[in-house]
Amino acid sequence: MSTPDTGETILSAENLAIDYRTVYGTLSALNGVNLSVVKGESVSFVGDSGCRKSTLGLATVRLLPLNASYSGGRLMLDGKNVATMSNREVVSMRGSTAFMIFQDPLNTLNPVKRVDAQMLEAIRSRARHERVSFNEKEAQKEAVGKLEDVRMPDPESIITRYPHQLSGGQIQRVVIAMGLLMRPKLMIADEPTSALDVTVQAQVLKLLRELQREYNMSIIFITHDINVAYNICDRMAVMYAGEVVEYGEAGKVTRNALHPYSQALIKSVPRTTKDQGRLTTISGAPPNMLNPPDGCRFHTRCPYVMDICKLKSPSEVEKDGELVRCFLHGGTTG
Amino acid sequence: MVSNFGLFLTRRAINAVITIILLLALVFALLHILVPSPQAMARIITGNPRASPGALAAIIKANDLDAPVYVQFFRYVSQIFHGDLGTDTIYHVPEIQIMKEYLPITLELVVIGQIIGVLIGLYTGAIAAANRNRAPDYGMKALYLTTWSAPVFLVGFVMQLVVAYWLNLLPATGVVNPTLPPPAAVTGAPLSDALIAGNWVYFWSALQHLILPAFAIAVVGFGLVTRIGRASMIDALDRDYVKLAYMKGLSKGKVVWGTAFRNAMIPIITLVALLFAFSVGGAVIIEDVFAYHGMGYFTVQAIYNDDYPAILAFTVITGIAVILANFVADILYAMADPRVRLT
Amino acid sequence: MGLSSIFDHMIRRPIRATGQSAVKTGATTTKKREVKEGASFYLEYIRKDKLALTGAIIIGAFMVFALLEGIMQELASVLKQPSLGWRFLPTNPLALTFNLQFEPPSLARFPANILGTNYEGQSILSRILYATPHDATASVIVVGSAILIGMFLGTASGYFGGWIDEIMMRLTDAFLALPALVLAIAVAVLIGGGFTALLYALMIIWWPTYARFFRAQALTLRNKGYVEAAKLNGSSSLKILVRHIIPNSVDPIIAYATLDMGTVILTYAGLAFLGIGVSSGYPEWGAESAAGLQFFPLQWWYSIMPGVVIAVIVIAFTLIGDRLQDLIGGRTTY
Repeated sequence: MSTPDTGETILSAENLAIDYRTVYGTLSALNGVNLSVVKGESVSFVGDSGCRKSTLGLATVRLLPLNASYSGGRLMLDGKNVATMSNREVVSMRGSTAFMIFQDPLNTLNPVKRVDAQMLEAIRSRARHERVSFNEKEAQKEAVGKLEDVRMPDPESIITRYPHQLSGGQIQRVVIAMGLLMRPKLMIADEPTSALDVTVQAQVLKLLRELQREYNMSIIFITHDINVAYNICDRMAVMYAGEVVEYGEAGKVTRNALHPYSQALIKSVPRTTKDQGRLTTISGAPPNMLNPPDGCRFHTRCPYVMDICKLKSPSEVEKDGELVRCFLHGGTTG
Repeated sequence: MVSNFGLFLTRRAINAVITIILLLALVFALLHILVPSPQAMARIITGNPRASPGALAAIIKANDLDAPVYVQFFRYVSQIFHGDLGTDTIYHVPEIQIMKEYLPITLELVVIGQIIGVLIGLYTGAIAAANRNRAPDYGMKALYLTTWSAPVFLVGFVMQLVVAYWLNLLPATGVVNPTLPPPAAVTGAPLSDALIAGNWVYFWSALQHLILPAFAIAVVGFGLVTRIGRASMIDALDRDYVKLAYMKGLSKGKVVWGTAFRNAMIPIITLVALLFAFSVGGAVIIEDVFAYHGMGYFTVQAIYNDDYPAILAFTVITGIAVILANFVADILYAMADPRVRLT
Repeated sequence: MGLSSIFDHMIRRPIRATGQSAVKTGATTTKKREVKEGASFYLEYIRKDKLALTGAIIIGAFMVFALLEGIMQELASVLKQPSLGWRFLPTNPLALTFNLQFEPPSLARFPANILGTNYEGQSILSRILYATPHDATASVIVVGSAILIGMFLGTASGYFGGWIDEIMMRLTDAFLALPALVLAIAVAVLIGGGFTALLYALMIIWWPTYARFFRAQALTLRNKGYVEAAKLNGSSSLKILVRHIIPNSVDPIIAYATLDMGTVILTYAGLAFLGIGVSSGYPEWGAESAAGLQFFPLQWWYSIMPGVVIAVIVIAFTLIGDRLQDLIGGRTTY
């Protein structure tokens, strides 16, 4: 898929590879990732745990652990290569270009500081970056205003509390508000609703959708739940074992999944009536990325496995407006 | 919110008192298990292993040593709470008097030593954690490994040897230059009194004598603080709120010290209270090595002289001091961590 | 593997080594990683770390020599042949050879003078080696007894709860309020002199930390599924404790116990330094250091060397214990 003119593209990964150095050897986390996010669109990374979708998110903001390295390809955020950014560029990038929210509300906020203190930190940081003066009173008002924007009831009271006095849903709203305060072009949400009740989940998703339209903000939504992904994003990237196996418009991918893994994911969503029979599962287990199997990383669990799949790794091909990584749809060796 | 904290304080205070009583029970129990007969107990009290039966009988009567156990225990506890810790068998004065004289000196030494140790330990622990598995981390690890593994007297000896004897930088023994007239006794501790009185000559001399033993005490605990501090810091650095702080565009310094460290410090407070017990134990030996005339030094003399009341008094005082230190630590912990304070 | 295999079938251990083994055929090498269990896992883990390995070697040598020397000393006293006591030592540690007085550490008369000689002209090395059985015995017996006592009291306290637990908590609180050294002094002085008396004193005061440990484990484990299952099966409390709770509690204790053995030696040396538990003629490490006090600083090696030896032994224990603790705490770093 060719990248549209760079003014519009916020994030573009070109054949990106990321490795982890471990006690047991080098672990290949991401391999040959190609995707892009344009301004105002939302893309979701979908996959099971272990498929390294979080890694991709963390890589975008240079928050990978110390033993990680950008070992191949490029990751361009707003025109700059994340891997080669200087420390100063990284600091100014975080928040103003990209902002990330995390999964576990219990640990997301600093437990020893009040909510308003933490939100003011964000405003102060933004003021420094934009080289404008910082006024505490105005900042306080702005923080309360943002809490209203994220549909938080009674923001004046919330803002004086400590994180442990808030519920999970409230915390996520605070974090989203904090992100909005930074005015990022790209918001990365790493499973922000996985730890929440279903009803709260729905509220937060609705909120994100609305905010995306209001602010024309790009969103990357990382989730293991393909339902959620379908509901929130324009385009969907299905990941398996560190590779993007299918990438295309959300509706297309869900209605007409091309890659066997995507098909299996969609099939495994439980239906509403009990007459549908047994739940479908995918047999086998994710591969050990220290010693990845030869050939396609999914072949050990694939119902349509062919001989070539065991020997060679497929490259990405374009089909029906999507990118797929599977020999079933053509493609030469990677 | 204030009354919540007040409630917390009261609960903790009551807890401390109960623990003190239990401590006394423990000491009492050990005493009575290890010293089986009233006669043996009387012998301990007089400090004379060859006391006549008549003298022993008099002691037994005077101290109710043949009364039932619970009576004796009650007597014991009320004695302690009235400040009566027995009479010293060598100096023939009430133990409490001796304690009053020597305790401030040791407390000053231990507190200053611990402050130094904790500060250095926190700093090195944080550095080690932020530079995990790189050179500074390994350097710190080697440092705290050696200091923690060395016996207390070795630390003292090495310091004394190198700094006092070979380099001649500081005096090797003593609390202060004995020819100097002491300032008015307000706290009973040399540096503090000199500070309060503005007596700078005395202060300077006392300081010079304090530095080496204080650093020795610091070394006792420094290793543990670095270890736990490092672990606590690593734990804090892994948390999502640190990542969030980075996301807000805060610089590494602000995140490491302002956010992670602030959180990592909290369990250290409990550690410091634990360390206090350690340090007091170490003070006994350090005071011996440096001939620093505090409570520990006195206890060492008591050991040589079989002065049991002194040793027991020292044990009780130490225990109470540690429990009080823990109480203070509990309060500080509540002040630092809103989760404890506001639930 | 010997003793540990007795526990293996009773212990549910978490999976430590990651993933399955991957076997590559063809041109690439065959690489299979076994998942090790039990004691062999610990040993392999220690072997991998050079530092811990050094520590293990030192301790191994220490224990073996202490055992040997201890047996020889017993034989010497039983057979009334004192020279057996120093058969394996460079020189006679108890003989008065004033002509060799105060020789500084050197390579003369190797290896007798590595640590120098003392006032009586005796080789400090020989004297230190002569005293090893006491320290080795102390570390093993005190920690061993502390584990046993703590196991009974702590597990019962945590499992049954109620007022037993309350009493135990307060009791350990009281014990832990007193510094080990201070309490040891008080108890040892009351019991009287001698090595055995000192051992008893240490055993009396050492168990509370372990009781706390086991209590904490019991509290966590008593809610586990398999305990509930055993209860439903009608197993008696004793059976549950012995078959399920205790074997699963032992793991984290091992690392701490290793470190603790070093601590025992430090405390023991401290007490010996103060003259407690020292029988005349027996060159206890701490006592040797104290004896050198009067010759400080000119003959500094007399006081310093025993301390150095102690430090080396304790460092060795700490290296092993640290490594084990990293493993158990899951904080393995790369």
